[in-house]
Amino acid sequence: MDRQGQLDLALRGSRAAPTLKVSDLVRRIRDTLDANLDEFWVVGEVSNARLAPSNHFYFTLKDDRASINAVMFRSAFVRVRFKIRDGMEIIARGRVSLFDSRGALQLYVEEIEPRGVGALQIAFEQLKRKLAAEGLFDAARKKPLPYLPRTIGIVTARGGAGLRDMLRILFDRFPNLRVILAPTRVQGDGACNEVARAIYDLNREGRAEVIIVGRGGGSLEDLWCFNEEVVARAIYHSRIPIVSAVGHEVDFTIADFVADLRAPTPTAAATMVVPSKRELRERIAADDASLQMAMRRAIDELRETADDLASRLRHPKKLLAAARERLEDARRELHAAVAARLADARRSLRENAAGLRAPTSILREQRLRLSRLALQLAHGMERRAKEHRAVLGAAAARLDSLSPLKVLDRGYAVVLDAASGRAVSDAAAVEVGADLDIRLARGRLQARTTAREL
Amino acid sequence: MASKGRKFEDELKDLETLVSQIDAGELTLEESIGAFERGVALVKSLNQKLDEVERKVEMLTRDAEGRLESVVLQGESEGGSNASAADADDEDVSF
Repeated sequence: MDRQGQLDLALRGSRAAPTLKVSDLVRRIRDTLDANLDEFWVVGEVSNARLAPSNHFYFTLKDDRASINAVMFRSAFVRVRFKIRDGMEIIARGRVSLFDSRGALQLYVEEIEPRGVGALQIAFEQLKRKLAAEGLFDAARKKPLPYLPRTIGIVTARGGAGLRDMLRILFDRFPNLRVILAPTRVQGDGACNEVARAIYDLNREGRAEVIIVGRGGGSLEDLWCFNEEVVARAIYHSRIPIVSAVGHEVDFTIADFVADLRAPTPTAAATMVVPSKRELRERIAADDASLQMAMRRAIDELRETADDLASRLRHPKKLLAAARERLEDARRELHAAVAARLADARRSLRENAAGLRAPTSILREQRLRLSRLALQLAHGMERRAKEHRAVLGAAAARLDSLSPLKVLDRGYAVVLDAASGRAVSDAAAVEVGADLDIRLARGRLQARTTAREL
Repeated sequence: MASKGRKFEDELKDLETLVSQIDAGELTLEESIGAFERGVALVKSLNQKLDEVERKVEMLTRDAEGRLESVVLQGESEGGSNASAADADDEDVSF
């Protein structure tokens, strides 16, 4: 046996204690705890609260002198109906046991209840009710954020992680921006007044088009400044729209309720406040392309309409052509019909040619009859003329015997008044000296009255 | 229409209205051409507006009389990642 062995033996001998493996020891401690500590209720303040990805809830339960690690498994945690936060006084039911692999004591919590409400929580609820009643949270008075702010006011700690995150995101989204930082402390005594004053200062300065007020994440106490009335009122009275950006995902601060827009983190605030310049460029370019396309399409459509109208304008011409064609057809038909009728007529004329000889024979007969009648007429006329001539001859002989010229032949004369040409049968009608014309059977004599006898 | 005084978002909206008007085919040819020309002017104005401002980070301070002053911060305008040691302390310094 070597010296070490002897020493061990000596120690064991002197203390009369067994030698154990670590796992045996831990198991025995756990068994002792389990056997002697039943379930109990324990009162304390929560700190280091965190929800593991497994949804087991880990925290430290403490009072002013001691602390113990605690875990609430998912199955128990899902039944908790309130939000467990650092600083909260709670009462927990559970038991203590040993976490074997680390040999660490742990409080295994089955049930948890709030133990009263912390002073901060009471203050928070009271202020929230008061400001809500005053209308500081009214949606109607919330100002719209500018679409494209070129000057951004920021109220936060210079050099803080929140500022770095915001500047990075802001310039990433819009490389040419003007940022006006109104630096303040964001925790500790007096920080609230600084934040409020910074908001007033940015309003006085006037260039900022939107203001981000915030800070990165922290404990409830760290963020308390943003639950103060002076900050709430400063936000409320700001003419410039304000985005609250207090780095805590879950809970709202009073500042969040008053702000025109609440962002869960400074990074998110920067994203909300400034549009992406690249996206805007792309949108303008897309609009530009749409404009060109729309114009082209409009022109195409108008051209199509014009073409359509033009084709309809040609239509009457087509109609005319069709009409002309119809006319031509009709003319052809007419010619054909006329020709056919002529042919028909000719054919029937030919067919009736024999019949046409009868009229000529009738004509000949008539002519014969006519000449017979003419002959009879001529004979009749001659006979009548002979008769008339005989009557005329007798009358003429009688007339000849009565002619004064026959009397004259027998030595009588006719005395005519030379002036009047009248036959003188009364001497009283002739003055002495009047010229007389004496007609004899042959020739005339001129005589002057030398005397008369009545 | 595309004047300096008008807001970016109004001009953007106008542009998109013009596009949809021309697209809807409810304009005469003359109106379409007018709308197109206004649209082209708006595109130009909008792009100019995006470049109007220079990149700058200023810090607003008060002097003893409470007068406001703004100082250009050289480092931070490069992205704000190289804050100086003095800046980093700022959060903990009480006034």
